[in-house]
Amino acid sequence: MTTTDSELNENSVPVQNGPQERSFPDPYEIETPEGAEGWEEMYAYHNRFLPTRRAEDSAKTWFRNSLHYPEVSYPFDQVTIDGAFTGTGVTNTRVFALPPAKGLDVRVINGYTYMSTIPSPDDEEQARRAEEFGKRAGYYFENWDTLYAEWEGRVTGAIRAVHELEIPPLSEFEAIERVTADRGPSQGNLLLSAYHRLLEHGDQIWTLHSEFLNLGYAAYLQFLTLCKEHFPEIDDQTISRMVSGVDVLLFRPDDELRALARKAEELGVGDLVQAANNEEDLLSSLGDSEAGKAWLASLDESKDPWFNFSYGSGMYHSHRSWIDDLRLPIQAIGDYIVRLRGGDDLRRPLDKLQAERDELVEHYRSHLDEDDLPAFDAALGLSRTVFPYVENHNFYVEHWFLTNFWNKAREFSTLLQTWGFWDDVEDIFFLRRAEVEEAIVDLQMAWAAGGKPQGGYHWPEIIKRRKEIYEALSNWNPPPALGPVPGEVNEPLTIMLWGITPETVERWLTAQDGGSSRTHLTGFAGSPGIAEGRARVVLRPDQLDTVQEGEILVSPVTSPSWTPVFGRIRGAVSDIGGIMCHAAIVSREYGLPAVVGTGFGTSTIKTGQLIRVDGDAGTVTILDESTDV
Amino acid sequence: MGKYTRKFNELSSTDRPLVGGKCASLGEMVQAGLPVPDGFAVTVDAYEDYRDASDLRQQLLRIVLGADAQNNDSLQQAHDEAVELILGRELPPAIEQEIRETYLELSRQTAQRRGVGDADRIPVAVRSSATDEDGDAASFAGQQETYLWVVGEDDVIAKVRECWASLYTPQAIAYRSGMSAAEASDASKIAVAVQLMAHADVAGVTFTVSPRTGDRSVIAINASWGLGQAVVSGEVTPDEYWLNKIGPTLTSTRIASKAHEYVPAPGGVGVELRDVEDSRRKVACLSEPELMQLADIALRVEKHYGCPQDIEWALEHDADGTPKVMLLQSRPETNWKKRKEEKGKNTTKATSNLLGFVTAAAKGSTK
Repeated sequence: MTTTDSELNENSVPVQNGPQERSFPDPYEIETPEGAEGWEEMYAYHNRFLPTRRAEDSAKTWFRNSLHYPEVSYPFDQVTIDGAFTGTGVTNTRVFALPPAKGLDVRVINGYTYMSTIPSPDDEEQARRAEEFGKRAGYYFENWDTLYAEWEGRVTGAIRAVHELEIPPLSEFEAIERVTADRGPSQGNLLLSAYHRLLEHGDQIWTLHSEFLNLGYAAYLQFLTLCKEHFPEIDDQTISRMVSGVDVLLFRPDDELRALARKAEELGVGDLVQAANNEEDLLSSLGDSEAGKAWLASLDESKDPWFNFSYGSGMYHSHRSWIDDLRLPIQAIGDYIVRLRGGDDLRRPLDKLQAERDELVEHYRSHLDEDDLPAFDAALGLSRTVFPYVENHNFYVEHWFLTNFWNKAREFSTLLQTWGFWDDVEDIFFLRRAEVEEAIVDLQMAWAAGGKPQGGYHWPEIIKRRKEIYEALSNWNPPPALGPVPGEVNEPLTIMLWGITPETVERWLTAQDGGSSRTHLTGFAGSPGIAEGRARVVLRPDQLDTVQEGEILVSPVTSPSWTPVFGRIRGAVSDIGGIMCHAAIVSREYGLPAVVGTGFGTSTIKTGQLIRVDGDAGTVTILDESTDV
Repeated sequence: MGKYTRKFNELSSTDRPLVGGKCASLGEMVQAGLPVPDGFAVTVDAYEDYRDASDLRQQLLRIVLGADAQNNDSLQQAHDEAVELILGRELPPAIEQEIRETYLELSRQTAQRRGVGDADRIPVAVRSSATDEDGDAASFAGQQETYLWVVGEDDVIAKVRECWASLYTPQAIAYRSGMSAAEASDASKIAVAVQLMAHADVAGVTFTVSPRTGDRSVIAINASWGLGQAVVSGEVTPDEYWLNKIGPTLTSTRIASKAHEYVPAPGGVGVELRDVEDSRRKVACLSEPELMQLADIALRVEKHYGCPQDIEWALEHDADGTPKVMLLQSRPETNWKKRKEEKGKNTTKATSNLLGFVTAAAKGSTK
């Protein structure tokens, strides 16, 4: 907590030697990594930097979206990227007419997603938009709770629709009723149409996802700004603590694990559950006894929907969810059983958290002038109204919906696999959405004719090559931004959501120019406290099981489903994260120090290094150079 | 208690015209049960009656109005003459007697309480206590004098007179020379605080509002070794401690290299500035429990006055090392709103636009 004079000087922004000399790499001069030649064909033309548009696109600043898309995009997974940006764009630009902000342009380079803001409207257009915005946003703010309840119905409806989407088996003969009764479309017709339905849902879910989102963020930002006007030194986490609910959907899956641990103890099967490593173990050890069966029934109840919980952001098919792979939840239940036996009741003290939140608000209110209280209370009230959506939409869409969406895509893949298109069910994700449609048409034609589809002769080579390209792209280190240094970063939502501020831009430039320290990283103070320990760098969710007791987790970004791992670590460091960052929320919940948005944590820190996380100052220091490489 | 001296525990802020701002505030704090070293005020009437007991008032006025504010030599000459007059003229017995008696009473009571031998020679601080509302004007007017480790009744009388004489620094004369006779007379009203010396090994200043941003949820503490003079006068760079009022909790610490400190002079009278030995220079002069005690008292002071305060304090340690905070002065901190407004300008146009739109749209959704 102590800073010396010299450290303070280090933190000051260096004098610029003329901004014209500094820039991020030109997107058109980015080289293709060795072995990734031809990567462009994995993405649709609209996702690429087109040589014919160079003058326009080179003049803009592009920020890497590593918050949502830290990994190389799979060709099929581009569905969610396009969909998400479409959803935000249409909500801002066309539905609510948010006056100062429209959507974003999106490009993929070497497999990584970059975005650039569409210029803000001029004053005259803003005034016109403001009039629309007032009517539309006003309606939402006034009817928020009712609209939110309806929204939950529509989202769960979409999830059910995807889950229940029927894929025709392409049987030898059509059913007899096809002749005697309905005389409707063939199984081949229905197959193509089912694929279209899947894409429709995968597309429309993002309009639902964005429906309240920027209104919610804008309302929250209003409160945030008000707090900072009155209390210039208040930190973001304190503000979010005044607003956030104590009972958030994203904690629910973890709560289920705790409940299952208690249940196992009650039923006297704690030892058996604790000894299990996976689902097979559970079934074989518990399947024979009444108590065991009762516990397995509870597990099944918890699984749907709460285990539709992605190991990653949910945005990639490869992240998988608890429900697909029960190893982490089973291990976590085992850990919880141990804690129960140690006397921990595992209950989150909701009343206490609620009381603390109220006390915090009262404290800040007591330092305001009488005249300022009504505006403060109104902004806080609106923020609290919108917050359940802000906090919970993520579980509905990214976790619950997408788990079902990817698994439905796998069902199509399984069908194509049985028709010889490829060997591995996961291969479908190396095809673009339009290519999958071609494959389905191919299958439809061959099945109809009674012949053999072309796919098995066409796709395996392409998929093999794309896997090599994917590997090569994964080893590439994408720059945080492309193009000229932005004149000013002031669009408030960009700052809040992406953590992109003038200071971050400066940090990136310094790091790019070789000026950053190799032992000292700066980020946002995500959760208070100081911890020292060995670093564990986790780049992908499937590396999670390497995390050992007492280590410090270093990752590009964390997912809510990693929550059980937080019981094992001493602190957390992430590359990405603004103020709504999950790593920060969960760290606070667990009382672990966290520094988020360091930019270069995973590329600077090596597994095994001793590091210090200072969650008060927002700094990470590498204390020794040793690694276990 | 008579016309010329008033004990702190009889004073409150409404007594400012009689005893000056400093004494009134100390009295107010004593009455609020805050830890303030005991003492008394030498009232405005003492100096007024002294001036009126002879033709002193007219002579001083002539000196002030006759000085050439543009001419340093003239100001210096006026200063010398005025000081000579004030320090040399006989003090009316009623005034002198009362100050002596009140000091001796304070000294003897304190000696008895502390169990100290020499009951008539308990050290005190003697400071001017300005009647002017405006602190800036007071500093121009020369009402900022402080004498530490003053011992014995004769010395107390001498230092009270020096406080009075401090009204006539060259710059104070220049400040008043442009005034009318009545204004100049009013601007030279003065009271004096006589207060037990705190045996401070650490002293400093606490703001109950952030001096850098005007944030009212923040406490800033500046502290250094020895008596508080070094911090107040800016002779050392103090340690800085920043706290959040919730808790309160320490949020950041900046340890300075503290080269000098004021300590009581070896003879037991007056103070001297000495070098701080290397082993203490770069060490935090406050521990966390001490910080918490300071913060706690600062919050009580702020609550008592109902607005942000700028508090001077000293930390005494008992024989067993138990720290005890003593408050020496508290003033309202008046610049915080200005600072907050400056800081508020950082909100960009883009943000305030968006927020304006949201506020407009959110009207009617009152929950």
